[in-house]
Formats: sequence, structure tokens, C-alpha cells
Amino acid sequence: MAQQEPESNNLTYKGVNEDVMGIITRSGLGYYLLTGAFALAAIGLFIMPWAYQIYLGQGVTGLNAPVFWGIYLVNFVFWVGIAHAGTLISAMLFITQTPWRRAIARGAETMTLFALVLVTLFIFIHMGRPWNFYWTFPYPNQRQLWTSFVSPITFDVFAIGTYTTSSIVFLYFGLIPDIAALSHTATGWRKALYETLSWGWRGTDAQWSVQAKACMFFSAFIMPLVVSVHSVVSWDFALSVVPGFSKTVFAPYFVTGALLSGFAGVLLMLSIMREVYPVMKKYVTNYHYDRIGVFVLVLSLTWSYLTLMEVATGLYANTSLEMEHLKFKLATPPYLQLFALMIFCNTVMPLVFIVRKVRPSRFGRFVVPVFVLTGMWLERYLIIPNSLSRKFLPWMWHDYAPTWVEASIAVGTLCGFIAMFMMFIKVFPIISLFEVKEDVGIPMRNGKRH
Amino acid sequence: MKRRDFLKFIGVGAAGGAAGFIIGKVSKPPGAKLIPYVVPDENIIPGVANYYSSLCTLCSAGCGIHARVMEGRVKKIEGNPLHPVNKGRLCALGQAMPQVTYNPDRIKGPLKRRGAKGTGDYVDITWEEAITIISKNLSDIAKSGSADGLYLLTPPQRGNLGALIDSFLTAYGSSNHYQYELFGQRNLYFANHAAMGLANAPHYDIENAKYVLSFGADFTSTWMSPVHYSAAYGEMRQAGKGGRGALVQVEPRLSLTGANADEWVPAKPGTEAILALAIAHAVVEKGWAKGGDLDGWRHVLAGYKPSVAADLTDVSEERIYAIARAFTHTRPSLAIGGDGVSSYQDGVSGLMAVNILNHLAGNNGATGGVIPNPEPAIKRDSAVDFKRRISTLAADAAKGKVKALIIYNSNPVFTTPVAAKLASVIRDAPFVVSMSSFLDETAVYADLILPMHTGLEDWGDDAPEPGVGTRVMTIMQPAITPYYNSKGAGDVFLGVAKQMGGRLSGLKANSFAEYLKDAWRTAYSKDRQMSASALTFDEFWEGALKRGGWWPKATVEARRQVTVSARSVSAHLAQMPARFEGKDTDYPFYLMLYPHSAHRDGRGANLPWLQELPDPMTSVVWGTWVEVNPKTAARLGLKEGDMAAIESPSGKITAPVYLYPGIRPDTVAVPIGQGHTQYGRYAARRGANPIEMLPHSEDARTGAIALNSTRVKLSGAGPSNMVKMEGSTKELGREIIQTAPPDGRSES
Amino acid sequence: MSVLNSIGEKLKSYRVPGYYTKFDHRWGMVIDLDRCNGCEACVTACYAENNLPVVGEKDCANSRAFSWLRVERYVEGEYPDVKVGFIPIMCHNCAKAPCETGCPVYATYHNQDGLNVQVYNRCVGTFTCATYCPYDVRRFNWRTYRPDKPLDEQLNPDVTVREMGVMEKCTFCIQRIRAGKDNAKDERRGVKDGEITPACAQSCPTGAITFGDLNDPQSMVSKLALSPRRYRLLEELNTDPSVIYLKRVAKDGSTGTGE
Ligand SMILES: Nc1nc2c(c(=O)[nH]1)N[C@H]1C(S)=C(S)[C@@H](COP(=O)(O)OP(=O)(O)OC[C@H]3O[C@@H](n4cnc5c(=O)[nH]c(N)nc54)[C@H](O)[C@@H]3O)O[C@H]1N2
Ligand code: SF4
Ligand code: SF4
Ligand code: SF4
Ligand code: SF4
Ligand code: SF4
Repeated sequence: MAQQEPESNNLTYKGVNEDVMGIITRSGLGYYLLTGAFALAAIGLFIMPWAYQIYLGQGVTGLNAPVFWGIYLVNFVFWVGIAHAGTLISAMLFITQTPWRRAIARGAETMTLFALVLVTLFIFIHMGRPWNFYWTFPYPNQRQLWTSFVSPITFDVFAIGTYTTSSIVFLYFGLIPDIAALSHTATGWRKALYETLSWGWRGTDAQWSVQAKACMFFSAFIMPLVVSVHSVVSWDFALSVVPGFSKTVFAPYFVTGALLSGFAGVLLMLSIMREVYPVMKKYVTNYHYDRIGVFVLVLSLTWSYLTLMEVATGLYANTSLEMEHLKFKLATPPYLQLFALMIFCNTVMPLVFIVRKVRPSRFGRFVVPVFVLTGMWLERYLIIPNSLSRKFLPWMWHDYAPTWVEASIAVGTLCGFIAMFMMFIKVFPIISLFEVKEDVGIPMRNGKRH
Repeated sequence: MKRRDFLKFIGVGAAGGAAGFIIGKVSKPPGAKLIPYVVPDENIIPGVANYYSSLCTLCSAGCGIHARVMEGRVKKIEGNPLHPVNKGRLCALGQAMPQVTYNPDRIKGPLKRRGAKGTGDYVDITWEEAITIISKNLSDIAKSGSADGLYLLTPPQRGNLGALIDSFLTAYGSSNHYQYELFGQRNLYFANHAAMGLANAPHYDIENAKYVLSFGADFTSTWMSPVHYSAAYGEMRQAGKGGRGALVQVEPRLSLTGANADEWVPAKPGTEAILALAIAHAVVEKGWAKGGDLDGWRHVLAGYKPSVAADLTDVSEERIYAIARAFTHTRPSLAIGGDGVSSYQDGVSGLMAVNILNHLAGNNGATGGVIPNPEPAIKRDSAVDFKRRISTLAADAAKGKVKALIIYNSNPVFTTPVAAKLASVIRDAPFVVSMSSFLDETAVYADLILPMHTGLEDWGDDAPEPGVGTRVMTIMQPAITPYYNSKGAGDVFLGVAKQMGGRLSGLKANSFAEYLKDAWRTAYSKDRQMSASALTFDEFWEGALKRGGWWPKATVEARRQVTVSARSVSAHLAQMPARFEGKDTDYPFYLMLYPHSAHRDGRGANLPWLQELPDPMTSVVWGTWVEVNPKTAARLGLKEGDMAAIESPSGKITAPVYLYPGIRPDTVAVPIGQGHTQYGRYAARRGANPIEMLPHSEDARTGAIALNSTRVKLSGAGPSNMVKMEGSTKELGREIIQTAPPDGRSES
Repeated sequence: MSVLNSIGEKLKSYRVPGYYTKFDHRWGMVIDLDRCNGCEACVTACYAENNLPVVGEKDCANSRAFSWLRVERYVEGEYPDVKVGFIPIMCHNCAKAPCETGCPVYATYHNQDGLNVQVYNRCVGTFTCATYCPYDVRRFNWRTYRPDKPLDEQLNPDVTVREMGVMEKCTFCIQRIRAGKDNAKDERRGVKDGEITPACAQSCPTGAITFGDLNDPQSMVSKLALSPRRYRLLEELNTDPSVIYLKRVAKDGSTGTGE
């Protein structure tokens, strides 16, 4: 049994409102300065280099023939992965009525939303002519130009588009009762904003019933997306014939990896939030860490198995194509070291979660997720540019290394992600008021209903 | 409106386009695209290409071209399909012709030196001023009684420009026409003349040969007439009756041609002549020789027993006999001696040995063998003047004999060893005129620079050398009006003659175009084959301009029979392996220099297409490299891409290491072509010029500069930024280049 | 319902591979590796014909050279038993082209001549086609490349000058195919075999490259394609390439001196 924390008891409706309102409004100057710093970093490290890239062309990257996909695509896949925990926690655990999701679902959904913003950005960043991005949509036009529905890139447009739309809707539907609740106490521009966004929510039975139905519907709707979105993303690679890309295991492999990184992301996000807002300890308890830890452990084991399968299948095939690709990935510095690091991060590190005590520990809360996120980023790196470095015709083999522009954009977008998140929680409740309130009055221990 | 004006007019913009469009609509010729220059302007329709037959001037092979011209601009050069030399094909260098014409670093008008020599500090002058300066200087020299102090340095001249230049010199009173080209084949001319009495290069009938034994001739890439020989090579491999011809290549460093050979014989550098003689010995010894005087041959070849030669050449005795057998038993066979063997100090001896082989195998005069060329239709003085060579020029200059030096279309400062001291000869000469399109290493020492038309802007003609077994005369005609304020060389000489008058007043033509046409008129009236081909000269001329020149329809001409006598060659046999400067203990490696496949002797280095064209054997672009056997490199601790310092007793350069499996471990090789200090933005300050490492060693008989004449040592000199396009050259069993056995059955 | 059905039928016919049931032509190339000597005249010809930019030393170092056509060299063995082979590789205009699957906007698609065409205007630069192409023949405009003036005087007006951000590749010299077809149409006849020659084939000194219509059994390419030396590169990937190679002939004996 995880360590008990006294705050988890004695919740009142008022207390919950105050706690959450406090998170929104009560922050020192330091918080805003930090938010501003991240925003500025996003402008300096991402917007400006991107403008530079748009002006000069993709030549400012380290891309070449045949490595046409570099860390922009790595980041794209990585952030789609991060976006996955939101879906799983909100939708899957909602449908299964898993009670401990309540306190953390809003945070996970928010993370999903901003991760998807980055996903979309990276699609544009990696394009040669991003100003023509809309050509990838099937819009009616007199030239009778249409998109190609056999292209996995078109699948992406639909999958990511659907996912983003439904995530926003799902997040928003969940927010409506909370926004309405906040509008009672808020003043000034906040009141105006909340009243507008609450769409006349009164909390009538009819409204509650519609809201519950809608959430249930969207949960059911989004649930397949957990599997489909990253499967589709994996097909960007798996549908090609490129050695290292063309693998049937990729769909489940990518989904598992996405969930692993997503859970690690949620874990890290909650831990940081709790440090910043100690009041959150009442809501996000050791029990949550325990549950998430179990998920991370199981996903890590699954991921490790699939990684082993991926490598073993290649070895078993024993063709020159597979072997050279594996040799490059597993036996050529620095990729050999990166591969070892990836295994350490994704397989070895999460094993500490076998020990229950470790799950809510500082180590488990901060160190393990950072390693897993690093490992999952590396996994994508080792799949994408590395496979393209060793394609069919050895004459064309060429290595890839990202340039400062690519590195800067990677860091800058991360800063942007953090800045957006920090701003969001100053406007919207990061803990679902109404869902947490469902637990008020019912004896709670460690977030679990008795 | 004159055609030239018209071209200028439409060149300036769409206003002209509109005018041309209207004219085009009125008088569109039905489908006629090959039009001669003399046909009126109405044929120019904006948006519709015209094609002009002309001559590729980028190397001495003399391929015929079609220049595709739209709106007064050359768009592309293609081979003239009717031309007997290249049959419609072109090499990479030739195709870059438009980049010569439209090169951003072309000299745009005549220049007069202002600063010190070599600084490139010039002022613009007009052509009138330029011609006046030359005329005045030449008049002064003539008046002082030293007309023979006028020296002219050009590449070998074969067309009527050569005739004009020689009339000019003779009339002026100078005999000093130096004809120099790094790969000018002086040794080949000498050897063939001495052995067979041939005044010009013979036709090597590779196409019909079934066994080609090449001694260092990179004939599909850089040697003599690469496009012609490549076409022949293709036919030899796959088109010939009686099966596929085989190619055996003897050379210490695998050339592009060697890379395609069925067999590579990496003889020790400097022993190829001995190897050839040993093969000849084996042929005579085994009784496989054709022709008489076997005793004579036995006597001459007595010193070249295969058993002895095997040690010297590093080629086994059995292999020598096997080659001798195959060479004499496969019919027809052909031996070729290329730059590889002629580039030693005793270069004539290797070529002589090759002549002996062809004689003993009965290849001379045979189809698929060595075929003497007929006399060209337009006669010019074809004999190479072996007396006038770089060393005699330097000696004359040292004695103060050189009063004026005119250099046309040649960059000898770049292509001769530093030890030849040509730079100082040119720097110190009292009056130097450079007739060049570019400010190169030689032009930078000139007092006066006269920008030349490029081949696409000028008139000229040419008898290809080597010939192709039949009579061929090519006409060069302007495809466009001159892009800059340049002139043709012929017009410069005529202009000077006109201004000087006096003894030069015999050169009366108003323009070189007129001079050329007159020369052809004379040839037409004298030559029965020519006059039979058209009713009037004008008709003949128009037809020749359309077709690109004149060559009689394939007629079997009576072949001159040539033989090689034991007596004629005995004075030119290799007595010992070729000499290399430097002791093998201090300088452990033989150095082999060879022309870069696209830049050749360095002339192509200012053309961006060619800088970016991967070298076929290394894929290196934009630079120099040194080829080192991987084992040697490992022994020296050198990795691919490491910078290496290459040092000979005469000089030192640095170049990145390329690990080259096709080279002997005791040899290193560096391509010639890069290392320019001048010659425009694409060439200057790029790579290294290996000629700087050479001693000035010439074949005593011919004056040909020996490129394989020194040993070098090699040491690491830090990292380099060598750029090569290849990833890996290992197929890894992926069946990328599949092979089939000779009978054509599929292997797998 | 019937409307839906007809739409369904339409979609189906459109989805089936080989949407064009009858190609007007199937342009193809036969490259005889026994003739090819690796001289790369073809490479320069392609630069000249197709306005390929020169990218400079730095971009070359990063494998960004524009050669739509390259000559690969493979070397086996060690001194003195070195075997060298050359193979020119351009876009194979695959009938089942993986690159076409990748493109979301139909910037690369199959046309009625059996060509894999590249529409520069339509390309948004996703790189998918290039990563999917097994032959690594696609080239990208990493920046806007312009020749130093006045080298641009020589640009071929029949071919666009591409701008930053678009993908390109060998087109089988489609402008020459167009011109050939136009000519034939003006003269109210079909295209004659040998009438259309891409720049690389035109220049090739050894005559290694033959171009023509594989649909026409009488064409030179069709006849050469019957050679027992015929093979196609990476054929096992089922790309159905339109470039057919003829195997290099190699003596199987080791001395090979004519015995
Ligand atoms: N047979 C036929 N005739 C037609 C048509 C047709 O389809 N067929 N179409 C008709 C139509 S719709 C049109 S709009 C007209 C077009 O007819 P024009 O207006 O004659 O159009 P352009 O031929 O484009 O010529 C415009 C000129 O402007 C120049 N120019 C370009 N930029 C500038 C600039 O910045 N400043 C200046 N001062 N000049 C510039 C160009 O070089 C060119 O000489 O043609 C009409 N005539
Ligand atoms: S071989 Fe010489 S003449 Fe012929 S195309 Fe090449 S450069 Fe021109
Ligand atoms: S031009 Fe012809 S011979 Fe030369 S590399 Fe190209 S295909 Fe081969
Ligand atoms: S070779 Fe590559 S680019 Fe060309 S059609 Fe085939 S897959 Fe597409
Ligand atoms: S790069 Fe252009 S052609 Fe290639 S897949 Fe993307 S949009 Fe299509
Ligand atoms: S067919 Fe045309 S575009 Fe293709 S490689 Fe040959 S020259 Fe280049």
C-alpha cells in the first residue's frame, strides 16, 4: 500500500473550488516571468529559425538524399506519442469507469491538446512548401485536384485531423460544467470569458444527462483512435519498402511506444505540477503514481518485447538489406551507443517500477519518466533517419546529422509547449472540478472509492 | 537588316520576340531545322530552335556538333549524327561548351596591363587600340632586324587558322611557331613516323578488333579521340559480327578504360615497354609472328626474354606467353600505346614496342587493326616540329632571343613543370600578348589580353586528328553572335596584317570567314572528290555548312600498306625501366599523373558542370585527390579523406587520400586538372596541381614532357574536406550489376 | 442508391492498379552494361537538357547534388584482382511506383504514356516520394538554386527552372517526348521508333542507352528487352521498372587471355 497522504481526505465542494481556483489565480510573479521566458524561448528558438528556414529553404537542415526525413519527423512521431496518454486516460479509463482517472484526466487531455498543436506544427515545419499545406486537404476546386487517398500522408491528415478535432471537443465538453462553476466566483475578463464559454450551463438534470452522454459518446468515439492514430502514423513508414521501415510489427509497436511515452509524459507533468502547486497533493496521490507506474511497467515490457521482435525478425531474415540496416543501427557508433541508451531508458529504467515503493518516490516521479521520454525520442530517431541512411543501393548511402536549425526548433517547440500549458492552467482548471466533486463526501482513501 | 544585328535585336527582349513571331508566321520553313549560317534571318522564330552544325573545340579530337540555338542563345550542344568522328555522341567536356561561352569569368573586352605582371591589374581598351599596340610592337621588332624574335605559342593547328598563322609568320619573317599541348602526342607521332613513316596518327580500328591490348591508353575517357573510341568500344563489345571483342589493359593504375577491361595487367611503372617487347619476344620465339625478317626480329628482341622481363615488370612469364598467344591467335587484334606509356622520359620506346607488336601480329593495315589515314582534304603542314619544344623556348628566352611572344588558346604555365621555368620566360619577355577567353595562369603575365571568341561564336575548320580512316573536314561556324566584345584569332592576325601592311600586305582577306571560304573554294576546285560532290561551289559550301563539313560517302579507299622493320626500331628500344627521379629509399612511391576525365589538362576546371561531375573512378567532385592502394594507406596510417603531403625531389603538394584498390601498392596517382591559381571563380584556389611536383624531363627525341618521371613520399597532413559522391562501393550481394558469361546465356 | 453504386464503381476502377487500361505508350529504356564504360557523358547531358542546377562543394558534401542520372560504380576484390562495374541509374519510371503511393497530392503520378511524371507546381515537399523510392533517384530543391549570370542564358526554355521546396527527378526527358509526339501529330502519324531520344541516350558515346516504346513489339527497346542478358534492378520489389538493363559480360575464367 502506498504511503498515505493526509490531504486526500476531508474534501468539500467549497474546498475543491477554492483549491482549483487557487491554482488558476494564485501565482507569484515568478510564475508569469517563467511563462514569459518559455514563450520568448519559443519565439527565439522556434519561430525565428523557422522563419529563417522558410526563407532559405530546407537546405538549412541536415537533410540530404537519401535521408529526406530527419528529426522533424522524429519530433512529429514523438509528439503524436505524447498525445496518446490523454486519449487513453480520458477515454479508455472513462469507459471502464476507472475512478483514479478523475483527478488526472484533465491534465492528460490538456497535454494531448498541446502535443497535437506541436504535431501539426511539425508537419508544416518539415514541408518544403508549407504555404501550400492546404493542398493536402480534399477541398473542392475548379482544377479538379484532389488528394491521393492511397497515400499514408493523406491518412495522416485525416487521422491527425480527426484526433485533434475530437480531442478539442472532448476537452471542451468536459470543461463546460467547470467553467460554469468558475464563472460564479470569477470577476472581470475571466467572468466574461467563462460565461461565454459555459454556453449557459445551469447544471440542470437535462444538461448533466446530455453532458454525460456526450462524454460517453466521445469516449467511445476516441477509443479506437488510440489504436488507429499511431497505427496510421506507423504506416507512413511501414507502407514503404525501405528496409527498417517496411515492418508489419510497426502498428502495434508504434501504439505501444506512444502509450509508453504518453504515460511517462503524464507522470512527469503531474509530478511537476504537484511541486509547483502543493495543493494538488490532495488530488493527485500516491495511488495515482502507483497506477501509472504499473501502466508504464506493462507498456515498457510490451515495448521491449516488440523491440526484440523487430530486431530478431531482421536477424532471422538475414538478408543483406536487413543486416546492413541492423549493423548500422546496432553496431555503428554513435548509433550503437544511442541504441544501448534507448534500451536502458525504455527497458531497464522502468523495471524499477516492479518495486511498488519506487512508483511514488521522487526517483519514480521525476527520473524514470525523463529517461523513458528520452528513450522514446531515440527510438524514433533510430528508426527514421537511420533507416534512410542505409537504403537499397549502397552507392547512395549517406549519413545524417541535424543542424542547429533543427535542434533549435526541437527545443523551441518544447518551450512553446510548456508556455502554452502554463498559460492554459492560468485560465482553465487543470483538475476536473465536477468529477473530483463526485468523490466528495464519499469516504476516499488514496483516491480509491470504498 | 544584317543577321548579326537581328540576333542582337532579338536577344534584348520580348519586343524582338514579337517581331520574330510575325516574321516566323509569314515565312516558316517546313520542318527544316538544320540551317546553314548563310540562309537569311527569317528562319529564326522565337520559341523554335535552330540547329547549327559546327565543331567541338574543347579538345583536339574534333567532334562534330549541332548547336541548338533559340533567340540568339545557345541552349545545348549535341553530337552531329552525320559526323564520322563522333557519330552524334559527345563527351562530358564537349557538352559543357555553352558554359565556356556564357562563363561569368570570360574576359569581356581587350585588356592592357596596368599593374605589375602577374597581378591581373588591367585596363579596358578598344580593339583598335589593341591591334595598334600589336602592330606597333611588331613593326618595331621587325625594324630592329629581329623579326625572328616573334614567338607564337599555340596548340597544334590543323585547320586554315593554322595556315593563316603560318603565312603570317612567314611573311613577317619568323619561323618560331611553337605548337604545344600537354597531351599533344609528340611521342606517338615520332614513333609512328620512325617505325612506319606515318605523318599523322593512324586510325585504331577498335570497333572491329576482337582483342585489344592497350598499354596505358585510356581511350574511352581521355586519350586522343575518346568519343570516337568509346563508340568503337561499344560496337566492339556488343555489335560486332563474330562475337564480343576482349580488352586487356596494361597499366599500373587502373584507368576508366582499364576498369572496363576483361583483364588488368598491373605492370610495374616504367616497364610497360619491356613487357611489350617481352610479349613480342614470345611471339617470335613461338613462331606466331607474321611477316618476314624473323632473324632480324629475333636479334632485336634477344634482350627481352619473358623470363627476364617477368622480374622487371612484375608480370609472370606464363602470363606474358598467354597474352602473346591470345594477341596473335585472336583475329583481328590490336595493340595501342597510350599516355600511360608515352609519358615516360623514354616515352617513344613504349610506343615503338607497341608498333612492333602490331607488326608481328599482322595488324598493320588490317581491319580491326592499325589503319593509316589518308591525306586530309585541306592540306596543312602536319609534321610536328620536334625541335621547337618547351625547353628550347626557355633556352631562347634565356638568350634574349624572344622579343615578342603571342600565346593563343594555351595555358602552358599551368601545364608545364615549375622546373621548366615557363612562367619566368613569359614574365620576362619584353612583349607578351595572350589571346585567350579567360584570365588564366599564363594570360596573367601578358601585356595585352585579347579575348577570343569561343567555338560557338567563331569560324574555323578542322581535319580531325587522329583521323578515322577516311577523309573528314569539319567546318566550325558561329551559332550565335559574339556574346562579348571578343574576336576570332584569324581576324586578329588579319587585322594586324592590314594595319602593318608592308611585308604582311599579302594577307588581304577582309575577315577570317572570307579567308576560310576562299581556302575551301580553292580546295573544292582542286580536289576531284570534292568537286564531284556538288555542281557549284556555293552549293557545295551550303551543303557543307548544313552537314557540318565535308566527308565523302563511305568509300573503301585503297589502304596504304605499312610495315615496321627491325632496323627502323632498333634505335628506339627500351634499354631499361624508365627513369624516375628520387631514390626509392627516400621516395618510396612511383607517381603517376593522368588527365582528369572531364578537366583533361585543366581546361575544364572552370566549367561548373564538370566541377560537379563525379570523377568516374573515385566520385570526387570539386577537388584533387591522391589515389593510394588501401594496403599502402594502412601501412602509412592514412585513412580515406586524410590530407596527404606528397613530396617529390622537385616539389610538394597536398591532396586528400582516396583509397583506390586499382593501383599498385608501390604507386600513387594524382589527376591533373585542378590547382589553378587563376582561371575564374570555379577553378581558382581549388585542389592542387600535381605538375608542380615534376622535374622538367623531356623525351630527348620529341620534347614531350614526361609525366611519370618522379618518385614521391607520402605523409599525413591532417584532415581534409574531400567531397565524394559515393556512399559505399560494395554491392553486398544485392545483384546490382549483374553479369553474364560471354556466350550470352543468363547466369542466374 | 444507383448514384452511390455508380460512384462506387468509379472509385473502384480508379483504385485498381493500372487505372489506365490502355497506355498510349510505355516508354522504356534498355541500358547495355556491357557497352557502358562509366564515362558519365550522359550525366552532363542530363544537366544540360534539364536545367539541373550546380549546387557547389558544400551541398555536394551533404549529398545534395542534382544529378537526376548518376553512374554508380561497384568494386569487388583486392589488388590485383579488382573487378569494377558501372551502372547508370535514373528514375526507372516504375509502372508500380512506390513513390506514387507516397504522394498525398498527386504531384507524382502515372500518366497515359506509362511515365511517372512529376508536377512541380503541385508538389508541397513532403519528401515521402523520395523516401519511398528504392532507387534513390529523387532530388529536392533545398533552396532556390540559380546559375551565376550569364550562365542562365543557356537554360533550356522547354524545361522549367524549379524553385525552392519542390521535388524533382528524371522525367525521361518528357519535353522531348512531347515534341516528338507533337511532330508526329502534326504529320498525322504515330511516333516512329527511334524518333524520340532523351538527352542521356543521345549523348552516350558507347551507345549503351536505347529508348523507345515497350508497348510496340517492333521497337528497338522491345527487341533488346528480349535479350537473355536482360534484368531489372531490384525487380524483387515489384516496382515493375521501365528501365531494363542488359547484363555486363564477364569472362568466367580467371586468366581470360583468349583461351
Ligand atoms: N492570338 C491571341 N491574341 C491575344 C490573346 C490570345 O489568347 N490569342 N489574348 C489576349 C489577351 S487576353 C491579352 S491580356 C493580351 C496580352 O497582350 P500584351 O499586353 O501584348 O501581353 P504580352 O505579350 O504579355 O506583352 C506585354 C509586354 O510587357 C513587357 N513587360 C513585362 N513586364 C513589364 C513591366 O514591368 N513594365 C513594362 N513597361 N513592360 C513590361 C513584356 O516584355 C511584353 O513586351 O493579348 C490578347 N491577344
Ligand atoms: S572528345 Fe573532345 S572534341 Fe569530342 S566532344 Fe569531347 S571535348 Fe569535344
Ligand atoms: S554516357 Fe553511356 S557509356 Fe557513358 S556512363 Fe552514360 S551510359 Fe555509360
Ligand atoms: S524510380 Fe523511384 S521515383 Fe522513379 S518511378 Fe520508381 S519509385 Fe518513383
Ligand atoms: S515531395 Fe512533392 S511529389 Fe513528393 S510526395 Fe511530397 S508532395 Fe508529392
Ligand atoms: S531520360 Fe532525360 S531526364 Fe532522364 S536521365 Fe536521361 S537525360 Fe536525364
